[in-house]
Amino acid sequence: MLLADFGTSYCKILDTESSDPPRLTATRALDRKIQVDLATGHNGKRYAKQYVNELTALARGGISLIAEESFTLLDCGSRDIKYVSYREGKISDMGWNAECGASMGFTIELLEKYYDIDFHGVSVPKSSFSVTCGVLGMSHIFDAVVTGSSETEAVAKFVKSIAVNAYNFAKKPETVYLSGGLCDNPLFVKSFPCPVISLGRFVLLEGLKESRYLQG
Amino acid sequence: MTTADRQRVGIVGIPPLAVIKTLASPDIEIYDLDEPQGKINIETASPFLPRVYCGILRTVVANAVTIRPERIYIDTGAGKCDCAVHTATVLSDILPDTEIIRTRNDDKENFGTPLCKTKGDLLSRMTDITASVQTVNPYKEHPPCPATAGFWGVPPRDFSILELFPDTTHIYGWARCMENKTPDNLDLEMHFNADVPTIFFAQSFCAKTAIARHLAARHPHGLYLDCDVSAGNSARAKIQAFLELSGPVSKRS
Repeated sequence: MLLADFGTSYCKILDTESSDPPRLTATRALDRKIQVDLATGHNGKRYAKQYVNELTALARGGISLIAEESFTLLDCGSRDIKYVSYREGKISDMGWNAECGASMGFTIELLEKYYDIDFHGVSVPKSSFSVTCGVLGMSHIFDAVVTGSSETEAVAKFVKSIAVNAYNFAKKPETVYLSGGLCDNPLFVKSFPCPVISLGRFVLLEGLKESRYLQG
Repeated sequence: MTTADRQRVGIVGIPPLAVIKTLASPDIEIYDLDEPQGKINIETASPFLPRVYCGILRTVVANAVTIRPERIYIDTGAGKCDCAVHTATVLSDILPDTEIIRTRNDDKENFGTPLCKTKGDLLSRMTDITASVQTVNPYKEHPPCPATAGFWGVPPRDFSILELFPDTTHIYGWARCMENKTPDNLDLEMHFNADVPTIFFAQSFCAKTAIARHLAARHPHGLYLDCDVSAGNSARAKIQAFLELSGPVSKRS
């Protein structure tokens, strides 16, 4: 069975009958004729026989991967951020910010390439900007550079701002379980004002596996 | 008598029964201005109300300036909202040929809430509840069903979100007050069923967002949701996921 998380920038595809790990493909390079059995993600309905909504897939992935009965799982993708919270084994809250607050992951990746920054070597800045979304936040970077900050320092503040925004959006949990492509960005992960446990970018695929079992 | 010959009367909120009785005439065509009427563009309201304003009252103004009723009854009491008070003032100024009649619905007679508690398509039941505002007749009997989910709130601007709920969803909040014909009944509005997962809905920019969020936090299994004019994918996904994960397909339920 082919499972896929069709994200805005990257697609994650898993063949459950193979022992290979999930395949990561840039969305722009995706074979447009692909058809999978079960999908989630922004573009999922176009390429799948059956679709599972992203919050459901995220929650089921969290239930599968997290041993605790109470947790907040935050997914920071390219286009949007979303979270689910469980309390004592029951779904208690969720949110999906696809409009304002959007394009944060996409903007970080653009900045990384544009300024040629390796986030592994960047320290977490003491302060951050007040940003509402990736696109609007970029002007803060340009302003900071004009007033004497290094490009790396300005981008680091921007990344921290986004981490703080995401943390606030998830209602300030004690610990964040983090999912999505930004798990691979060490500066982003370290910028959270709380402990972060990174689960990687395949949590929604894990949720699809759970959905497959539930659907028999 | 053709539609063109009939007097056009608009209603906003729930007029008192005494008013509704006077409108029960073949010479009068009632327009519920809270609801989208045909293809009237909500942007028609933008010269008169801020865009960041309750989607239902923007709908009221868009309908009113397009339909231009001879009379509009608008509830400006506690059974509607403060925004309606100001909207009544705006309507008075921009529609000089329309008689704007401010009402205050203090009706206390309980008509019952059979549609809120019976089994059936939620969208159809909500449509019937909003339509019931225009009649004074007693309700038909509808057998109650055990609730498996709850919808708390006002009838939404975008009824399509109601399609996502199971047929055994019970209706709470102001929509229940609406069916009961007691719009200013805070005890009934605050009532919820703690035993079933419940979506606490309010229109964005409506004062009821405060009470919706407050009750969702008090409910052991509630989720707060607000939507503006039309529900986006994220709002739909929240409803769908919440109900799925709370129901029999939820691994931990």
